[in-house]
Amino acid sequence: MAVTVHPVPDRAVFWFGCNLVRHGEVIRASARLLEAVGVAAETAGGPANCCGATQEASARITEGMGRRTVDGFNARLAGAEHGQVITWCPSCHMNMQDVMAPVTPTNFETTHITEVLHARQDRLRALLARPVPVRVLLHRHLGFQPRVPVNSLVADLLRLIPGLTLVDDPLAVPGHMCSSLSSVPGALAAAQRATLDAMAASGADTLATIFHSCHRESVMLERGRPWLRVANWIHLLAESAGWPVEDGYKAIRNAEDPRAALGEAGMAAAGEAVFERLMEPELRKAPVV
Amino acid sequence: MTGLAARITAEGARLAAACTACGACVTACPMTPFAPGVDAAEPRVVAGGMRALLLGEGGVAAEAAAWIAACTRSAQCNAACPEALDVALMMRFAGMRARGATGEAPRYATRPDPGWSSRVKAFARVTLTEEEQATWL
Repeated sequence: MAVTVHPVPDRAVFWFGCNLVRHGEVIRASARLLEAVGVAAETAGGPANCCGATQEASARITEGMGRRTVDGFNARLAGAEHGQVITWCPSCHMNMQDVMAPVTPTNFETTHITEVLHARQDRLRALLARPVPVRVLLHRHLGFQPRVPVNSLVADLLRLIPGLTLVDDPLAVPGHMCSSLSSVPGALAAAQRATLDAMAASGADTLATIFHSCHRESVMLERGRPWLRVANWIHLLAESAGWPVEDGYKAIRNAEDPRAALGEAGMAAAGEAVFERLMEPELRKAPVV
Repeated sequence: MTGLAARITAEGARLAAACTACGACVTACPMTPFAPGVDAAEPRVVAGGMRALLLGEGGVAAEAAAWIAACTRSAQCNAACPEALDVALMMRFAGMRARGATGEAPRYATRPDPGWSSRVKAFARVTLTEEEQATWL
């Protein structure tokens, strides 16, 4: 499959979307990897830079949120010769291409972080010096691959890591990422069962997630399975680069008591009422399989 | 009608006009087993319902509405379409219209999540430094 190679941006924004905030260490490591390959990008995300994906019952609201975000990126990249918005989230990426840019003119190109890192992988080789001796099943989805060949790109990037073995298993589950499956009864459970079967058949000990919602939904697979580790591809690259990255979300999600795992400082930051109403239901959700 | 609503309506209708409702997209879709009634339905009827919805016509079969609601953006429909249409985009726009995005009565209820912005900000307060929150959000 042809990989689109964009010109090196003179100015860029790394647009991490909304829900990746659960994984602050992934945002930091991603920004650091971009810098390592020579792309200095402003980092932006959260509700003020939302793609509108959560408001699709109203074209008016979706358009408004999208326009605000595009206008913000246009302002940040004004005057750039090759301005780029580098996406993380496949929903954000598809929204930009399908509903945002066709309605609000942009002065930038949209590319995905996997495309940027893959095109400059020679700069990563020297960086990825530490062996990571794991046997990895890459958690592939069918959906985003035709638009951006993330499955192939991330596989190539993981193969740069010394000591890492990528198992040869063709499994690709439906959807563009796990958050889409979680809203259809039975779909996420079926995908996770197929994933566990593929890991058993291939002898993989590590499930490498690509997207944040897949990571969020998959970390609980570690419960009761001490042989299994769930890591995001960024975690694995960072580990090989010798950068300390702690999967804080996994630690809280898999804790017996998320409140205790979050600690006093975390609870104070979140706020008791907000934690109880908005975070705790997610953190205490039972595993799907 | 302007902006995004106009795009959904116009582009959806343009694609639907080229659609023959052959049903290849339904057959190729990995979500068909998870959409109530779709497995047992005739693929042409299901695809025809999606086309009708995009053309603003009536007669959208219940199985078609169920299939559209179960879309998880697997994009296998695009590869299967003998007319080389962007079926994934058709499904996206059909889903938005079915939820009432362009002002029509919704065909199925959405589950609003009014707390999503506050939830994102709460996680951000836990995972990001104050400087990161100030600079990135």
